Amino acid sequence: MEEDEIAGYVTAYLKKKGFTQTEKIFQEEFQTNKTNSSPLEPDIAKHILSFSQLESGPARFHDGYSRLRSWTHCSLDLYKHELLRVLYPVFIHCFMDLVAKGHVQEARHFFNTFREDHEMMHLRDLQKLEGVLSPTHLEEMEFAHSLRQSKFNIKICEYSYELLLQHLHSTQSTTILGIINEHINFQVTPGQPSSIVDDPEAVTLSGSSQDAANQINQKEIHWGLLEDSLEERLEKASSLLSDSEKGEGEAKEGETEENKKRPVEGGKQGASIKKVKKDKGGSATGKNTKAEVNTVSAAPRVKPELPMPIIPSEVEQSILEDLRNRVQLSSVALPSVSFYTFLNTHNGLSCSSISHDGSLVAGGFSDSSLKVWDMAKLGEQTASSLSQDENDTSQNPQMGQSGGGKRQYTLFQGHSGPVYAASFSPVGEFILSSSADSTIRLWSTTYNANLVCYKGHNYPVWDVQFSPVGHYFASSSHDRTARIWSMERIQPLRIMAGHLSDVDCVQWHANCNYIATGSSDKTVRLWDVQSGECVRVFVGHRSMILSLAMSPDGRYMASGGEDGTIMMWDLSSGRCLTPLIGHTSCVWSLAFSCEGSVLASGSADCSVKLWDVNTSTKVSRAEEKSGNASRLRSLKTLPTKSTPVYALRFSRRNLLFAGGALAKNG
Amino acid sequence: MSIVGKERIEVIAQSIGITNLSPDVALSLAPDVEYRLRDIMQESIKCMRHSRRTTLTADDVDSALSLRNVEPIYGFASGGPLRFKRALGHRDLFYIEDKDLDLKDVIEAPLPKAPLDTAVTCHWLAIEGVQPAIPENAPVDVISVPAEAKKNEQKDDNLPVDIKLPVKHVLSRELQLYFDKVTELTLTQSESVLFKEALVSLATDSGLHPLVPYFTCFIADELHQLMPSVVTCLVAKRLGSRLADNHWELRDFTANLVASICKRFGHVYSNLQSRLTKTLVNAFLDPKKALTQHYGAIQGLAALGPNVVRLLLLPNLEPYIRLLEPEMLLEKQRNEVKRHEAWRVYGSLLRAAGQCIYDRLKIFPTFPSSLPHAVLKTNARVLMSSPYKRKASLEQLEEQPPLKKTNTDGEVGVVLTNSSPSHKQGEAGTQASSVDSIIGSSSASEQMKNDTISNAVVRSNKVDTRSWKTSAALAQVWKDELNSGRILVSLFELFGEDILPFIQAPELYMFL
Repeated sequence: MEEDEIAGYVTAYLKKKGFTQTEKIFQEEFQTNKTNSSPLEPDIAKHILSFSQLESGPARFHDGYSRLRSWTHCSLDLYKHELLRVLYPVFIHCFMDLVAKGHVQEARHFFNTFREDHEMMHLRDLQKLEGVLSPTHLEEMEFAHSLRQSKFNIKICEYSYELLLQHLHSTQSTTILGIINEHINFQVTPGQPSSIVDDPEAVTLSGSSQDAANQINQKEIHWGLLEDSLEERLEKASSLLSDSEKGEGEAKEGETEENKKRPVEGGKQGASIKKVKKDKGGSATGKNTKAEVNTVSAAPRVKPELPMPIIPSEVEQSILEDLRNRVQLSSVALPSVSFYTFLNTHNGLSCSSISHDGSLVAGGFSDSSLKVWDMAKLGEQTASSLSQDENDTSQNPQMGQSGGGKRQYTLFQGHSGPVYAASFSPVGEFILSSSADSTIRLWSTTYNANLVCYKGHNYPVWDVQFSPVGHYFASSSHDRTARIWSMERIQPLRIMAGHLSDVDCVQWHANCNYIATGSSDKTVRLWDVQSGECVRVFVGHRSMILSLAMSPDGRYMASGGEDGTIMMWDLSSGRCLTPLIGHTSCVWSLAFSCEGSVLASGSADCSVKLWDVNTSTKVSRAEEKSGNASRLRSLKTLPTKSTPVYALRFSRRNLLFAGGALAKNG
Repeated sequence: MSIVGKERIEVIAQSIGITNLSPDVALSLAPDVEYRLRDIMQESIKCMRHSRRTTLTADDVDSALSLRNVEPIYGFASGGPLRFKRALGHRDLFYIEDKDLDLKDVIEAPLPKAPLDTAVTCHWLAIEGVQPAIPENAPVDVISVPAEAKKNEQKDDNLPVDIKLPVKHVLSRELQLYFDKVTELTLTQSESVLFKEALVSLATDSGLHPLVPYFTCFIADELHQLMPSVVTCLVAKRLGSRLADNHWELRDFTANLVASICKRFGHVYSNLQSRLTKTLVNAFLDPKKALTQHYGAIQGLAALGPNVVRLLLLPNLEPYIRLLEPEMLLEKQRNEVKRHEAWRVYGSLLRAAGQCIYDRLKIFPTFPSSLPHAVLKTNARVLMSSPYKRKASLEQLEEQPPLKKTNTDGEVGVVLTNSSPSHKQGEAGTQASSVDSIIGSSSASEQMKNDTISNAVVRSNKVDTRSWKTSAALAQVWKDELNSGRILVSLFELFGEDILPFIQAPELYMFL
C-alpha cells in the first residue's frame, strides 16, 4: 500500500467530516514526515481504509444498529443485561443522527422498527422523540438538545466492554462505534458484571452529565433538625417530669442532658439569636443508640439559616399539647385515617389541602375558585357566622359570599385560572394558593380575605408550600424555576433554576434550610435556601414527579411519580434507598407520620397505602456503606370507594387526614 | 407512518380555501404540524396531571395552548367528555356529532336543574389501621393475611416478596359483638322494639356483609333445632299431661306450622321437606304407633298439600283403612277413647283425601264432552257402595265400551276385593245409627247424608245413562281425567259418600 494513497484517503475522510484544521495539520505533517516515515502497519491502514469507505447512506445506521442488536441478544447471559443497556443510547442517537442529516423517512422507519425494545423502560422519552421530524426540531426541543449535549453513563464490567469493542471492530461498524464513542461514557468496573437489580441506575442521564450530578451530590448538607424545636422542648419537659417522678434510667438521662443544655441556654430567643453549633455529629452519634421510637430526637441539630418567625405562646402551648397527646405509630400500631370526600365537584377539583389540625379543608377548583370548609363548624352551621361572612363581602369584593344562602364553605375568589395548589400555614390562619394565572395569593382564614398577590412567575404555578415554621413559602412553576418567598415581600427571595423541565412539586426540608423540587425531567433536586444552589440531584424516576415528602428527622425524602412508583432517598448520600412499587396510578400525595415511622401515600388508583419506614432505615443504617437496602414494607392498603386521594396530612397527634373528590364512575 | 401526512395538510388547506398549495409546502408543513401537535399534547398532559385527573379533557388542551401563547380553540368547553362517532365506511375516521338545534326549542326548554353545590363529607377510612365496615368505605377485604404471619415471613427471608398465605377469615370485634347480640335477641326477645331495629339494621347495613355466612349458619342451625321439636308436637304419642288436654288442636296447629316452615324455607333448604315427609310417612305406616301419632302424621302430610297426599297417603290408604276399621267399630273396640281416636283419624284421613280430590278436580276445566264417562265411572262405583246394587254395577261395567274396558278391568279386581270393607263400613254406619248410641252424632248425620246422596245418585244415574254413546272419540281427555277419576273412585270405595262433600257442586253435578 502506498503511503500517498493512504494519505489521500485520510485527507478525503477529514474533508468529509469537515475537520479542516486537522486536515491542514495532517497535510503539513505528512509533508514533513514524508522523508523519514515508517511504514504504516497494515491493519491501521485497513482501518483508515474502512473509514474512508463509509457508506454515506442512511441504511448504515439501520444495519449497524440491527447488527449490534442481534449480537447483543445472542451474547452470553451473564453479560447480556449489561450489553443491552448500550442499545438504548445507540438507538436514540442513531435516530437523531438520521434526523439531523435530513433522512426523515428513514429515521421514522428506523424508529418504528426498533422502538418496541425500549418502550418498557423509556416510553415517555420515546413519545417525546417521536415528534422530532426535522433538524430544526432537534435544535428546538430541549430534551433532544440535552441528549445531544450530554453523555450517557453506563456501568459495565471489563469483560463486557471488551466483548463490545471486539464485536464492533470485527464487524467494522464504524458508525455505531462513532456513536458509542461520542455519546456514551463507559464506567468500566473490574470484576463481575453488576447485578440486574441496579438496572434503573445503570443508564442514567441528567442535564449536566452524571459526573456533574455526582459532583453536586458530594456537597455537604446538614440534614439535621433545627435546634430548639418544639419537639425538643417537649422532650425536655417530659424527661424532667420523668426524672423527678421516677428517676428513670440513667442512660436516658445522660443522653437528654446534653440535649437539654442547649435549649436552656438559648432560651426562648434561641430562634432569633444565631447560635453557632459546635458538635453537629456528636449529638447524632450519641443519640443513635437511643430507642427507635424517638427517631426525631436522634437527628443532629443545625442552626437555622433563615431568620425564624417567633411563634406566639398560645399557639406554642396548643402545639405542645398536641405533641403530648401524640399517638405513637409503628408497623404494628397503624394510624386512624379520617377521609374528607368532596362531593359534586363536577370534575373541577384540581387540588386539595388539609390544615395541620385537620379542621380546615381547602379545595382549589378549575373555575379559579378556592373553597375552604371548616370541618369543626360543619356540624353546627350557625347563622351568625354566615352573616358575618356577608359583612366581609361588602369590604372585600373579591369575596364571593354574596350568593349567600346556606353555603357551607368560604369561597375565595381572585384567581383567573385553575387553582393548582393550596397550602395552609402551620397554625392555619393563612392559606396560599397558586394558579394557572401565574400568581400566588395569600388568604386569611380569619378575615376571609385576600391579603397579598405574589407575582413573579411567568407561567402557571404548579405548586406552593408553606415552610414548616410558616412565614416563608416556596413555589414551583412551569417556567422551570422554584422560588422562595416570604409573606411580607412581593418579590421572591431566591430563584432556583436548573431543572430541565417544569418544576411540578416542591417540599420544604424539616429544618427549613433546604427545599426539594420534583420535575418533569424525572429528577428531584435539593436546593440550599440560603445560597440558592442545587445541593443534590436524585436520579432514578422514570416519569414525572408529582409528590414529595420529607421525613420528620430530615434524613430521608420520599418522592412519588406519575407511574405509581415511590422512591425513598437518603438525603446525605443522594441514593435511592428503596423503590416502593404498589400503586398503579399517579401518586398525588405523600406524608410521613410525625415520628417518621410510617409513610402514607395517596394515589389516583383510589387507595391510601401505608408503608413501614423503620424496616428500611434500620437496614440501611447497618448496611449504609454497601448501599444495600431492603425494600420498604407495605403495611396496609386502604381502598376508598372510587375516590382518588388528592391530599394527605398527618396531624400533630398522628391522625391521618386524607382528601379526595368522589369520581362518579369509578 | 406519521400521524399528519402531506395529504392531510392539503385537505386542511382546501377546507380553509387555499386551493393552490404547492406540494413542497405541504411536505414541509406536515412534519412541523405533527411536532407542534405532539408538543401541545405533552403540555396538555402536564395540565391534566396538575388538575389531579387521569383523563385528558378539552380544558387541558386549552390550558396547554395558552401556555404556548396560542388562542384556545373555542367551542369544546363542555364539561362532559366528547362523544366521537365513527365515520361510515372508514375504520379510523371519527367525528364529533354536531346536531342542529332549533333555537325555539332551546328557548322553550325548561331550565335545567341547578347542579348541586360542592360539599365535603367526613368519614373514617380506617381506625387504627382497620377499615370500619361502613357504607362510605369500599367493601372490606375481609380475607386478609394476619399481620403477625406477614411479619414472620418478612423476617425469614430477605427477599422482598409478598407471599400470600392461606387465607384466614378475620372478623372485627365489633362485628362479633353485633352478631352475638342479634342472635341473643332473636332467641330471647324477638318481640322487642330493639329486635325490630336490629332487623332493620340487618336489612340495610352494607357493612355487615362479612357476617352473612354466620347468620346463614345460625338460621340453619336454629331450623335444625326447631324442626324436631315441632315434629314432636305433631307426632308424639302423648301431648299434655292430662288426658283431657286438647292435643288435637295442637296437632292441627303444628301441622299448619310445619307446612308454612316448609313453604318458607323449602327453596333454600332443599331436603327439609323430604326429611319431614319421610318422618311423617314412617309414623303413618307404622301400625304399632298410636292412633294419635297417626293422626298427627296425616294432618302434617295433609297440610303439606294435596300433591303430598296423593303421592304418599293415597297409595297406602286402603291397607290403612282396613287396619283402622276395627278400631272404629263399637263391637271390636270397647275402649271409648280409642274408638274416638280412631274416628278422629278417620276424619282426618277423609279430610286429607277429600282435599286432595277437590284440588285434583279443580284443575280440570269443565269439559262437557267427557262428562258421560266420568259419570259412567263414578256411577258404577257409587252404586257399588251400596251393597244391594253391587250386581247392577257389575253389569254396568260390562256394558262399557271395549276401548275403556282394559282400563277398567284392572280396577274391577280392586273394586271387588275392596268392596267388603266399604260394605262393612256401611254396615257400621247403619249399625251406629240404628244402635243410636255412644258414637258421635256426627257419624250418624253423615250416614243420613250418605243415604240421601245415594238416592240422588241412583236417580241421576238413570238420566245419565242416556248420553253414553257420545263418548268414544274423546279418549284423550278421558285418559287425563282417568287418574283423578280413579282416585276418586278408590276414595269413594273407601269412604263411601263421606267424600262427596269435598267435591264442588259443579263437579259433583258433572259426575252425578
